[in-house]
Amino acid sequence: MRRALILGVMVVGIALLLWAGWHNLRERKLAMQKARENQVVLIPDKAGAAEGEDDLAPKMRGKKAPNFTLTNLDGKKVSLADYKGRPVLINFWATWCGPCKVEMPWFEQLRNQYASQGFEILGLADDADAGKDAISKVAQKSGVTYPILLTDADGKVQQSYGGLDVLPMSFYVDRNGVIVEQTAGLGSKDMIEANIKKTIASGTETGVGGL
Amino acid sequence: MRQILAAAVLLLSGVLYAQQGSLPMPAPRPKQYVTFQADPQELKTGKREVVELRFRVADGYHVNSHTPKSELLIPTALKLEDAAGVKVSSAEYPAGKLYSFSFNPSEKLDVYTSDFIVKLPVVAQAGAHMVTGTLHYQACDNAACYPPRNLPVRIAVTAK
Repeated sequence: MRRALILGVMVVGIALLLWAGWHNLRERKLAMQKARENQVVLIPDKAGAAEGEDDLAPKMRGKKAPNFTLTNLDGKKVSLADYKGRPVLINFWATWCGPCKVEMPWFEQLRNQYASQGFEILGLADDADAGKDAISKVAQKSGVTYPILLTDADGKVQQSYGGLDVLPMSFYVDRNGVIVEQTAGLGSKDMIEANIKKTIASGTETGVGGL
Repeated sequence: MRQILAAAVLLLSGVLYAQQGSLPMPAPRPKQYVTFQADPQELKTGKREVVELRFRVADGYHVNSHTPKSELLIPTALKLEDAAGVKVSSAEYPAGKLYSFSFNPSEKLDVYTSDFIVKLPVVAQAGAHMVTGTLHYQACDNAACYPPRNLPVRIAVTAK
């Protein structure tokens, strides 16, 4: 009888603890949800985004790569559409960005390694204040021979790619013109190569849809 | 009895875990990587005094000093607008600290981290004045850099 009583008390106690735990967790979840909602409403950052929103989230993955036409260092117009049917890595960088300059020699090497599969890299200098000479100098120092394009001061291309609040930022575009991967910040060379392989493997040789 | 006790302990630990359960809140990315501490300044009328402007760089970030080691890097610079009744001389910037990215230890940068003070020689006429301007800077963390930004600066000056 005594044993049954102890058991009963324990069961009731455990049930109460379980209920308290569940209730506590639920309250916390609700409070956090409310806090997040308030964060969006009260601290607007810019159109379409809020303070605290993850800038590094791959927002463009799975979307069609927006076309652009920019001038290269030789003064010639280059469009993304010129590379229709080819896997392309679009890399935004700047002369003042140290991590960007670490990647560039890797890009050059990987571009040569996968050139036979149609792979190309376009380096877009997100450098409104730097002159063409400074951009050219950095590109040369990095040993880069892939096309370097000068973005416009109005930042329209950057905006079309989701607005770039961090550099380096890279978009891996497959043969169909679809962004299969988006990365922000300095990655490892192995990670970059894995993304290139993924981009080459994605899509079809026929380039359905185009850019 | 032992089995019951063991079951009770297990259930209790589960409850405690649920109560302490971590609900991760993503660290908000700051809109500004540098903040300004706007201390009101009380000065003596007509006398040259040095106002200290206190800035703080967000944890985990650095900004170039006023004299970075490369011409390609964007220096931290204060630009002030003319204010009636206040004459402001050239700002005096602190020396930066040596810094290297972990992925490129050979390159030494000259940066500000955590708190830094810009000194501003000022001569003010009697009364309350507001000096406004912007701090232009460019921030990085250990693996990425962020486009240059302008931090609004407002300095309330009262001369007596």
